[in-house]
Amino acid sequence: MLITLIQRLIWMLVLVAAQMLVFNHVHLFGYATPLPFVYLLLMFPLNTEVWMSLLWGFVCGLLTDIGALTPGVGAAALTLTAFIQPPLLKRIVPDDAVEDLTPNYSTLGFFTYARYAAIITGLFVVVYYLVLAFSFHNIVDWAISCASSWLLTWLLCLVFEGFRKTKKKI
Amino acid sequence: MRALLDFLTKYHHWLILIVLEGFSFVLLFQFNHYHNSLWVTTANNVVGRIYAWEENALRFIHLGEVNEALTQRNLTLEQNNEVLSERLALLTHDTTYAERIMAERMTGITLQPAHVITNSVLRRNNFITIDKGEADGILPEMGVICGTGIVGIVYMTSRHYAIVQPLLNSRSNISCRLRGSSYFGYLRWEGGSPLYAVLDDIPRHARFKVGDSVETSGFSSVFPAGIFVGKISAIENSSDGLSYRLKVHLSTDFSRLQNVLVVTQEFHQELHDLENNADSVASL
Repeated sequence: MLITLIQRLIWMLVLVAAQMLVFNHVHLFGYATPLPFVYLLLMFPLNTEVWMSLLWGFVCGLLTDIGALTPGVGAAALTLTAFIQPPLLKRIVPDDAVEDLTPNYSTLGFFTYARYAAIITGLFVVVYYLVLAFSFHNIVDWAISCASSWLLTWLLCLVFEGFRKTKKKI
Repeated sequence: MRALLDFLTKYHHWLILIVLEGFSFVLLFQFNHYHNSLWVTTANNVVGRIYAWEENALRFIHLGEVNEALTQRNLTLEQNNEVLSERLALLTHDTTYAERIMAERMTGITLQPAHVITNSVLRRNNFITIDKGEADGILPEMGVICGTGIVGIVYMTSRHYAIVQPLLNSRSNISCRLRGSSYFGYLRWEGGSPLYAVLDDIPRHARFKVGDSVETSGFSSVFPAGIFVGKISAIENSSDGLSYRLKVHLSTDFSRLQNVLVVTQEFHQELHDLENNADSVASL
């Protein structure tokens, strides 16, 4: 239990640091900014309580906001996504899945995991850009930013998951 | 209590979500200039609309009372008009005299009707908001009157609204005279009852009595001469003993103010600019 907590804490700090130091400065074609700190939510096992998911999401979002100088944006988006994550995972896994199933390539299979990651990252990126823009004055630019950032975020989450799997094997 | 605890236990995650999202949005609006300005603009628009709806509803509810007051006022004015017309006819045998005087007084003046959106009478410095602004030709320093007397002077304007500094403001200072004589003084409000103001600087040799009428003097570009202000209710000596200080019972009931008229004069802007230039030259 304590080891899981520490591992999760380390992952959160690494993701926040990577977001602050690297990904916040990436603006591919002037539109796409990856937001892979949402990967923290993808690591939560099936039996995670909603309140715990909410608190992790809020704290992680808030720490990222401090680095991005946009207080409230990441916290609002990641908290809402964290609220959706536990019931969504319950719908995706088979009915006979073990109680503490951790979503990854081996437990869900690549395509199911990729679908799960696409929904979580998609929801998060849309909410994030909605809160950030707070208006639809330039809806085309908003949609392009949303779609391209979601694609980059999703791919990065899949890469992170592959990396985590490799580390486990070693 | 038990039911409340059960409810909180069952839906605790919803409660946490609302609290955390609420905190996030507080941070968002507090520390991001863009979101903050959007929030303030939206909130102002919403509050403005709510005030306008409230005012419309209240105005509709009070239409009966307003009609009654107008009918009574109309009756009184008709009687006055009849008496005055008879006396004028006897004195001058010239029936066009009154019309000519009115035409002379109102030359170059138009009256722009407006509705009161917000109003206060309880503060030391009260202000009134009306639903006409620069788009309707309203500019600062224009006079505002109502069916029963004077109201105040336009203080600030936006595109569709204007703030009026009413007589019930410690900074208001309006030149008035005693009806039927040329003695004039300055009308001020010193707080307290919104029904009474004070007319200072009336010379010692002036002759008048309690119940005499007070009207605008017309010594400024703001109000034309002869607009009814109120009646003398008490006479006192000024603190230095050199003049009279008259307590005036105001004809305007500011606490029930709904419909007003803004006095727009043809050369208002030109006169205003000239007065400003004169002030700036004098201060050099």
